[in-house]
Amino acid sequence: MHVFLEILRCVVAIVIAYTVVFVAALVNIVFERRVLAFMQDRHGPNRTGWHGVLQSVADAFKMMGKEDFAPARVDWAMFTLAPIMVMVPAVAIQLVLPYTLGFTPQDLNVGLIYLVAITSFTVLAILIGGWASYNKYSLVGALRAGAQMISYEIPMILGILVVAMIVGSLNLNAVVDFQADAQWIGFIAPFTFLIFYVASIAELNRGPFDLPESESELVSGYGTEYSGMRFGMFFLNEYAGLTIMSMVAVTLFFGGWRGPWNHLLMIHGIALVPIVWFLAKSYVLVFALVWIRLSLPRLQVDQLMDFAWKILIPLGLLNIAASAAIILWAPHWKIAMAIYSWAALIVFIVSFDFILRWRLDRLRTNVAVLD
Amino acid sequence: MSDQFATPVPDAATQLALDRIRQSEEAGHGSDMAGLGFNQVVVNMGPQHPSTHGVLRLVVTLDGEMVRDVIPVIGYLHRCKEKLAEKRTYFQYIPIVDRTEYVASMNCEWGYVMTVEKLAGIEPTRRAEFIRVIAAELNRIASHLVAVGTFVADLAPLGTAMVFYMFRDREIILDLLESLSGARMMFNYFRFGGVRYDLPDGWVEQCRDFLDRFPKMVDEYEALVKTNAIFLQRTMGKGVITRQDVADYAITGPNARASGVATDLRRTRPYSVYPELDFNVCLAEHGDVFDRYQVRIDEMRESAKIVRQCLDMLPRGPVQVGSLRPPYVITPPPGSAYTAQENPRGEYGTYIVADGSRYPYRLKYRDPCFINLQIFPKLLRGNKIADAVAISGSMDLVLGGIDR
Repeated sequence: MHVFLEILRCVVAIVIAYTVVFVAALVNIVFERRVLAFMQDRHGPNRTGWHGVLQSVADAFKMMGKEDFAPARVDWAMFTLAPIMVMVPAVAIQLVLPYTLGFTPQDLNVGLIYLVAITSFTVLAILIGGWASYNKYSLVGALRAGAQMISYEIPMILGILVVAMIVGSLNLNAVVDFQADAQWIGFIAPFTFLIFYVASIAELNRGPFDLPESESELVSGYGTEYSGMRFGMFFLNEYAGLTIMSMVAVTLFFGGWRGPWNHLLMIHGIALVPIVWFLAKSYVLVFALVWIRLSLPRLQVDQLMDFAWKILIPLGLLNIAASAAIILWAPHWKIAMAIYSWAALIVFIVSFDFILRWRLDRLRTNVAVLD
Repeated sequence: MSDQFATPVPDAATQLALDRIRQSEEAGHGSDMAGLGFNQVVVNMGPQHPSTHGVLRLVVTLDGEMVRDVIPVIGYLHRCKEKLAEKRTYFQYIPIVDRTEYVASMNCEWGYVMTVEKLAGIEPTRRAEFIRVIAAELNRIASHLVAVGTFVADLAPLGTAMVFYMFRDREIILDLLESLSGARMMFNYFRFGGVRYDLPDGWVEQCRDFLDRFPKMVDEYEALVKTNAIFLQRTMGKGVITRQDVADYAITGPNARASGVATDLRRTRPYSVYPELDFNVCLAEHGDVFDRYQVRIDEMRESAKIVRQCLDMLPRGPVQVGSLRPPYVITPPPGSAYTAQENPRGEYGTYIVADGSRYPYRLKYRDPCFINLQIFPKLLRGNKIADAVAISGSMDLVLGGIDR
């Protein structure tokens, strides 16, 4: 009887986790399409349901109704495995996220390490899918994805390390507890947040880092040969990733579920109001992701790699050294940290633009010189 | 893996690309990563590909991300436009000219009509000349909006915003041209010795209203991309066409002007009323992708300036020589004539041989896109595949003109 209950608990947990992923993806798809449409001065989907809210549900049914098709000469087993595998990180990350006061699915004391380990799983699925597709576009897209995601994991970890150093723990609940009284790490260490956020956008394969599926060059990148629900799995994962990654960012940098009136509604020791704060903060970041995608052109492969290895990683390492020094030796280290980090952020943003223009001006040569 | 489908036999272009790979390997110039067991790959970009506007097919040899060789394949949109002329009277052929280079129909029509007028010795009325300039310059703005919009859309999701703004504003121009001619793209507006209709009531005010707003619109486009570090990084110093290249490959239009070559037929070989108008030939000095973008943006402003002058100078009078009805049947004397006029994409030449009958004996276009395409292999070789997309977008090809 006890074993049976355990199995039941597992099944319920898995179902809930998948539900969260699917619902998040469906919501995000409509959200993004509507926001993009608003920014592009057009209507967007507005026929299915109230303001088009059911559009992605309809799309999902359409995809499920399609033929389960695999082209000739694909490696069938791997081709099928990839869309299943690609969902794993989005589902598994939820295990350690503190959703609200008194509810964390599993309070791991190495939560941050688990997080890093699980997020690196996606690249494997994409590589498998691209390789198994027997298509040159897919292969190039998958190799780009591999190179990109492996490169950008490093700055992401460098960002997370600073959070661990500030908090002094790898437990995500400890991270949230540290940020009580609005001492959000995002305010103490904004520069760290920038490094983490840029790297996490690249991890999500979203614009401006959406090279693996850059539609103007590679048709659809690693997903070229996928159709129907197999494609749907890649698509859902990409959009669920927005919410999941934003939830991680909020947990690490913006106080997690913390907000006013935390104890207002309690059921069995689980507070309900903080869930609202958690989701609201997450969707601010999701909106930012959509906005960034719209307003920035796509990078190029070599520029992408340059940005990771020549800019983000050295800066991340320097940031760790500086943060460590401040935490160890500064008398009021939180204030010192905030001053250092805001200064670094401003200097970085201003000088990056300046240096880039200076380099580009030197790079261009007058045609008269060439003749 | 079971071999369910035999490998398809490569067509001529793919076979050529494969042969070149084999030759380069035999000559010891294989893949840069040959030591790692890699090989060069032949990838077909097009005829159905998101970034080739129309049905251009590029057989690209890739070495990793690097483009080693490009073979452009054309002809997928061939509709016998030149042959069709031989079976139609001069007048019946006008609507078909619209469909050659369909993004700038007014300009193409003008080229054809001007040639026939030269053959038959018809002089268009002065008011018609001004209306022609207005229509052609408005069409030039619309054409550049499409060119720049789709080019930026190739670079990026950013483009999806920009291209929507540009198409939104192009809509105003199309509305103007529609109330002028009755059609949005296939205008069929020019006639021998004039134009089909006079300007409708209130059209001049509408047009002025648009011209007042247009500079702000261009500022908006520029604000979107010109300050964007990634856009600059993607476009500056990429795909440089030198002046020597311009001469070697006979490149014309904005692509040549971006390399600092002042070829603008409106200025260098003036036709119609252009000598009376005040406008600048927009030049740039680097010849890269960014300059080709910049020249087009500048030309839009210049075109708006020209339209405004024409509206100010617009004389009264008939828009058609002779009676109100255009000459439906004309029989030019035997002979041949060539006229070149400045299309949004370069020198658009029309050559007609007449044999004294009601039908042209032979008609031939000198299409700027077709000529500009010749430099592609040289331009794309050695670039990243992402650059190749940006460069081919910046060249602004219209396949309707290339294949005809």
